[in-house]
Amino acid sequence: MPLLLGITLVSFSLTKALPGDPAINMVGERASPEVIESIRKEMGSDRNVIGQYVGYLGLLAHGEFGRSYYTNRRVSDDLKTKFPNTMLLAVGAMTIAVPIGLLLGFLAALRRESRLDHLITTVSVVGISVPVFWSGLLLMLVASFYLRLLPPSGTGELRFLVMPAITLALPAVATLSRVTRTTVIDILDMPFLQAVRAKGLATWRTNIVHILRNALIPIVTVVGLDFGSYLNGAVLTETIFGWDGIGRYALEGITKRDYPVVMGSIIVGTVVFVLINLLVDIAYHWLDPRVRLHKKGA
Amino acid sequence: MRLGRRGKISAAIIVVVLFVSVAAPLLTSHAPNAIDLDALKNAPSSLHVFGTDQKGRDVLTRVLYGGRISMGVAVVAALLSMSIGLLIGLVSGYFGGKLDTAAMALVDLVLSFPSLLLAIGISIILPPGIYTVMIAIAAVGWASFARLIRGHVLSLREEPFVDAARAMGCSPGRILFVHLLPQCIPLSLVMMGLKIGGFIITEASLSFLGLGAQPPVASWGSMIAQGRSYIVAAPWMVLFPGLAIAVTALCFNILGDAIQERFGLKKVRA
Repeated sequence: MPLLLGITLVSFSLTKALPGDPAINMVGERASPEVIESIRKEMGSDRNVIGQYVGYLGLLAHGEFGRSYYTNRRVSDDLKTKFPNTMLLAVGAMTIAVPIGLLLGFLAALRRESRLDHLITTVSVVGISVPVFWSGLLLMLVASFYLRLLPPSGTGELRFLVMPAITLALPAVATLSRVTRTTVIDILDMPFLQAVRAKGLATWRTNIVHILRNALIPIVTVVGLDFGSYLNGAVLTETIFGWDGIGRYALEGITKRDYPVVMGSIIVGTVVFVLINLLVDIAYHWLDPRVRLHKKGA
Repeated sequence: MRLGRRGKISAAIIVVVLFVSVAAPLLTSHAPNAIDLDALKNAPSSLHVFGTDQKGRDVLTRVLYGGRISMGVAVVAALLSMSIGLLIGLVSGYFGGKLDTAAMALVDLVLSFPSLLLAIGISIILPPGIYTVMIAIAAVGWASFARLIRGHVLSLREEPFVDAARAMGCSPGRILFVHLLPQCIPLSLVMMGLKIGGFIITEASLSFLGLGAQPPVASWGSMIAQGRSYIVAAPWMVLFPGLAIAVTALCFNILGDAIQERFGLKKVRA
């Protein structure tokens, strides 16, 4: 809650610090001063800054974000239609990234210092070094224009989702496989694994039950923290593929100086972010008995 | 310095990329912004090795000149991040207490918040351009330096030489900047090695979104943004600047990993 209030304050002062007057932007510089004044009154920007902020918080409390300066649509309605799209994109990317990232990291760790390990490590460095807007454009060029497999841009069914999801998944696969690799290597060196092996458990069982379970905790942390970079990537991928989500909406708002749009998107992004972190904390409880015991003891 | 084969190759490629960007005027006979209406969107040929763009400008030349902007911005942003991170990390680690708690809470916030949105937010308050991009990157980038340095200072603080300095009557300022700062420099340089690849990508992303170097000045990200509209007719306009970003960032990342391994540091990169 303090974080959310802080974010509203920061984003509010950011938008106030921006150059340009939205009232003048709306009607153009040649409009008469009376017209501009009446618009200001209507928008409430004739009040002082604190009054504006309090007014905005009042709006927020009712689940409202104000109206866009340009389309005059409610920002909350826009966000309601765009938010599911962004979530769909993020979930799509994670569905691709999580299994592949885990598998690659696991293989690399189990065959440490082998050719396979070197190959996977290299691929994952490449993954974090290639900008998504470039890989996305190349993917679009090949899949849509040369092979004519998928539509280059748009929002909706699966065929529109495939390319942005793959693009967004690429860096995520890279980070995940890196983290999985280091985590699994750490676990492999632990004494309890030798005990497990000495007990004569089959290796595949050791791998799945003992290593994966222990590895999941750091991995879940990273997936949660990485969600911020999904939002980053979403701005770029949504722009390239014309995916009608919050990232593109926020960027449009920024270039048009449409403050209610920018603030609404930032606040929704932050709420999502806080919720994801909460989910990660809950997941700890479920994944790691030690966390539960700790709490009871305290 | 032992860096392994991959680290050495990456370092060599970085040196080459730096050299060709700096020496761009000697290596190409075209001017970066020279418009040639007889050569619009020409495919790569012996005259224009990377082809030409929608205004007939030589893409190779623009990639070379663009490297100056892209790498220059990333390096300055890295130095700026390092300085801010060093200052906050030193003060926060040495004095501890409420100041430390507040500083680290801020670090957590900055590290977890979607950095591109923050950078975009900053680059619209200030007029678009390379200085704004530097500030925007540093505004996000300082946090990982601060956290690393603060941890290091926490352990340094207990060392006998700090006690000795204190016993001799050194002011906190002197202890911080004369005794502790030099001990933190190597670690921050390693961090810089790890971060700079990412900074190149962020610079490219911001330029791609039109918030960086303004036309007609070439930077790798803005070249891709321009080429985007002509991707079917002239794919080389997108291909080559992107390749430049990817190769440079890749080499910096591999080099960063190699340096990290060389110094036996674990998991500085999350």
